[in-house]
Amino acid sequence: MSDAFVLESAEAIGRSVLSRERSAGDVARTFLDRMDRTAEQLRTYLHRDREQTLAMASAVDARIARGERLTPLAGVPVALKDNLCTRCVPTTCGSKILEGYLPPYDAHVVERLREAGAVFTGKTNCDEFAMGSSTENSAYFPTKNPWDLERVPGGSSGGSAASVAAGEAPLALGSDTGGSVRQPAAFCGVFGLKPTYGAVSRYGLVAFASSLDQIGPIARTARDTALLYNVICGRDERDMTSRAEAAAVPLEDLERGVSGLRLGIPRDLIGEGVDPEILASLDRVAKALAKKGAEILDVSLPHARYSIATYYLIAPAEASSNLARYDGVRYGFRAKTDDLQAMYAVTRGRGFGREVRRRILLGTYALSAGYYDAYYLRAMKVRTLIRRDFEQALTRADAILLPTTPTPPFKIGEKVDDPLAMYLNDIFSVPASLAGVPALSFPAGMTKANLPIGLQLVGRPFEEATLLRVARTWESENADAARVPRLLSERRS
Amino acid sequence: MPIDAKVVHDVAALSRLQVDPSEEARLVKELASILSYVEQLQALDVSGIEPTSQVGSGSKPPLREDRVKPSDVRDEALAQAPDRDGDYFRVPRVV
Amino acid sequence: MSATGPATESTAGAGARQDRYETVVGLEVHAQLRTESKIFCGCSTKFGARPNTQVCPVCLGLPGVLPVLNERAVRFAVMTGLAVGAKVAERSVFARKNYFYPDLPKGYQISQYDRPLCTGGGIDIRSGGGWKRIGLVRIHLEEDAGKSLHPEGREGVTTTRVDLNRSGVPLIEIVSEPDIRSGTEAYDYLIRLKQILMYLDVCDGNMEEGSLRCDANVSVRLKGQAAFGTKAEIKNMNSFRNVERAIAFETDRQIRIVESGGRVAQETLLWNADKGIAETMRSKEEAHDYRYFPEPDLLTLDLDPAWVEAVRSELPELPHQIRDRLTRDFGIPEYDAEVLTETRSLATYYEEVARRSGNPKLASNWIMTEVNGIRNKEGQSIEEFPIRPDRLGDLIKMIATERISGKIGKQVFEMMLTRPEGPDELVKAHGLLPIDDEGSLRALAREVIAANPGPAAEVRAGKERTFAFLVGQAMKQSRGRAHPEKIQEALRKELGAG
Ligand SMILES: [Mg+2]
Ligand SMILES: [Zn+2]
Repeated sequence: MSDAFVLESAEAIGRSVLSRERSAGDVARTFLDRMDRTAEQLRTYLHRDREQTLAMASAVDARIARGERLTPLAGVPVALKDNLCTRCVPTTCGSKILEGYLPPYDAHVVERLREAGAVFTGKTNCDEFAMGSSTENSAYFPTKNPWDLERVPGGSSGGSAASVAAGEAPLALGSDTGGSVRQPAAFCGVFGLKPTYGAVSRYGLVAFASSLDQIGPIARTARDTALLYNVICGRDERDMTSRAEAAAVPLEDLERGVSGLRLGIPRDLIGEGVDPEILASLDRVAKALAKKGAEILDVSLPHARYSIATYYLIAPAEASSNLARYDGVRYGFRAKTDDLQAMYAVTRGRGFGREVRRRILLGTYALSAGYYDAYYLRAMKVRTLIRRDFEQALTRADAILLPTTPTPPFKIGEKVDDPLAMYLNDIFSVPASLAGVPALSFPAGMTKANLPIGLQLVGRPFEEATLLRVARTWESENADAARVPRLLSERRS
Repeated sequence: MPIDAKVVHDVAALSRLQVDPSEEARLVKELASILSYVEQLQALDVSGIEPTSQVGSGSKPPLREDRVKPSDVRDEALAQAPDRDGDYFRVPRVV
Repeated sequence: MSATGPATESTAGAGARQDRYETVVGLEVHAQLRTESKIFCGCSTKFGARPNTQVCPVCLGLPGVLPVLNERAVRFAVMTGLAVGAKVAERSVFARKNYFYPDLPKGYQISQYDRPLCTGGGIDIRSGGGWKRIGLVRIHLEEDAGKSLHPEGREGVTTTRVDLNRSGVPLIEIVSEPDIRSGTEAYDYLIRLKQILMYLDVCDGNMEEGSLRCDANVSVRLKGQAAFGTKAEIKNMNSFRNVERAIAFETDRQIRIVESGGRVAQETLLWNADKGIAETMRSKEEAHDYRYFPEPDLLTLDLDPAWVEAVRSELPELPHQIRDRLTRDFGIPEYDAEVLTETRSLATYYEEVARRSGNPKLASNWIMTEVNGIRNKEGQSIEEFPIRPDRLGDLIKMIATERISGKIGKQVFEMMLTRPEGPDELVKAHGLLPIDDEGSLRALAREVIAANPGPAAEVRAGKERTFAFLVGQAMKQSRGRAHPEKIQEALRKELGAG
């Protein structure tokens, strides 16, 4: 079968499987073949198992044959970030310390997807323990941006975003702690949603910074993003921070337009250092939405500029504790030593990569006696101020519109030796993470150099539907065939 | 707060992370740069502000009922151990 | 210089100098809550299972798992707080205590830190002739760690084994104010704390199985001095008596250091019960920096005051309340009431016996001496004791109403230990009914006089001291059944008549 349909929407693929127009097995084979051709160039996956994928697909076909009622995701290939636990399937978080680790259980979202009849394509590459913005911190290899193989796909869910952009899978899950779904989505020209904190159970998501981590869908259309979100959202009794308020988004709500919606632009945050093409795109989108009946207004997020400083205290502090379990005692890598303390230090020193070690040290420092008040406690108080900014802005506006990143995708290697410069790339995505509010990155055109531009919508808790609706309105008139990466269109012809 | 090799050494010990002497200088530099960046928070007046350690919205879920729910993962989980002594995990002797 | 003084437990030589000092002790008690499942997962808390069988992804600390708080653990902790008069916080916060240890799977223990569940309250202990209140700083909820098995003294063994069955078992930590002034007071405090926990039925109190553990902070100071001395923390005491001994040992050791011009070091000591000494485990320089911070995976614990009041209203009667009631309603001495309220079931047992017998004081005497005597010898709980309160109450009633003598009562009691019948049946079946009718008594008197002509003659001749001998013979002859006063009367009459 030709792979002409690999760039079809998940919605269309699922519909065709449910109507038995195509079998899940055929769909899976097509995507697997596609991956075989793109794998070398993009390096999106840490783990793929053709047989496992085909077995899942034929199980779905069997369920359909039995007349089981499946969801719209039946037979739809989904890529999973490698920090989502999959029973008996390697889960490394891009780290050497978990090389060969086989979780004995499935993450909540993985369970949900299995029930829904989705078919897993594999485990996608990511920055080690989701710490990074370029996927260069993977202990295994960097992933390439499908739009420009010399550039990063963003991170940490770079493998997931690149895989969806390249048509290796119509859908993927990533995780977002300070922008790790949205930033790679922006860099790869796809949709990436960070749901409200608590909307999706974190059970089985390997923790980076627990008060910030959320699992989010990555897709090529707004409707597909909603479809995937609908399967994973909602209360799970294994995660006390998951909430019953998280509800599925009816797809028809996405088609209701933006008339009467108030969209706020935080001009005070979008200051210097933002790429002019991204600013131009922001204005273009705002104008287009205004034309559709949205009211565009200015909102203020006065403390958002402290977000990076706040985030780089809170996230490493939580991480330093979350990563203490990698001690070589029960699973994962263990250095061979005769002494327990040496075992800890060498196991962790060798098992963790540079960025992870840096953040563990930073977080340990921020929490240690004598520094707690000045660093961690103060950061938590600033977090309160940032959260209030959003509460206030979102009483005036129904959603906030801003760039996802200050720049288009940067070159591989460009920032690896300057961690602070790398961190500053997250200035627009981190605020919503700190506030726990939902945020969606959507593709908003290309730069002159044919690199994707992503814009971001931030909304009130559990109002993911509003964000998807605004993005859908823009998408419906600006869907762009040029969104197919050149590399792939060339290969197709 | 000046950060130097001693601080890095102490924090690494607390974190149970072996730091190669050859990385020490670079780590000091990187951590110093990040810490000097986060110094900007000191300029904010946060008196009277409650800290936010969690950002959950919505209704609080109920607590778990006290009921035994045996797990079936034991053997799979133990199979992951780098070293075992029968049913036990085994580590170098705790001094 | 190590502050671990002379390697003996003797207090010789301290003597008079010791009297100038006082010990200041604060205790930290960890009590395992009697829940079915662990505090953050559904694994069983049962003791004694095969290693690493009561484990799941959560309590193994696998990547990606999250804790979910057990409602009953919270309820039990609140009950304890209310029982000791503590204030139950409307909002408390879980925190992570970070340190590395092979039996601590996550590399942190979920505990509570700056916002514990309960604060204040106290426990009354005996001191001198009266009572003394030991204040409580706090009671908080936390999870237990697993168990590390270190091969003891075996040459060439270089590994430690880890069993995580206990990882995640719910604990409360009860921290006292430094109000305790001796090992004896510490002992009494622990006994009473354990008693409260057992009355509440929130802890099984089993020290061997680790469901109750105690650390002591000990310092000394000159009497009258307000400031505290430097404290040492003693761990690893596996019985209340060992706590008492360890505190006495440590007091003596610290006084010696101070007396010889030295300074007590702030350190952690391990009690070695075999040697009777406390040995240095780690010094202040090696002290942990636990880097506590709020546990982001758990929500703040918010308790509805109405729920707390409902828990309060369901609290069982506590030892001191029953003690007061028993002295008031039954008029027994406070000492008796305290012995009888040792456990809730003993108190219940007593109450039933007291009511049934109609003589609460006699019931108290019987339980304290006869019943407890047997139980101590046999190591029985009151539940295991073979004579149920109805039968004992009937027996005591027979004694109280003088249907049988105390002496016969004891014979019947002995029989009842191994037989199911009631005292009445046993008395009848064994012919133990008292002889108190005139005719039988006179016949018995005649028999005794006939068998002892010499002593009878002596009494008749006025030697009163021999009369007691004849009474004794009559009692012996009747196997104690003769009515003690009436047989004297009968003997007099028969002697006079003879
Ligand atoms: Mg404790
Ligand atoms: Zn468990």
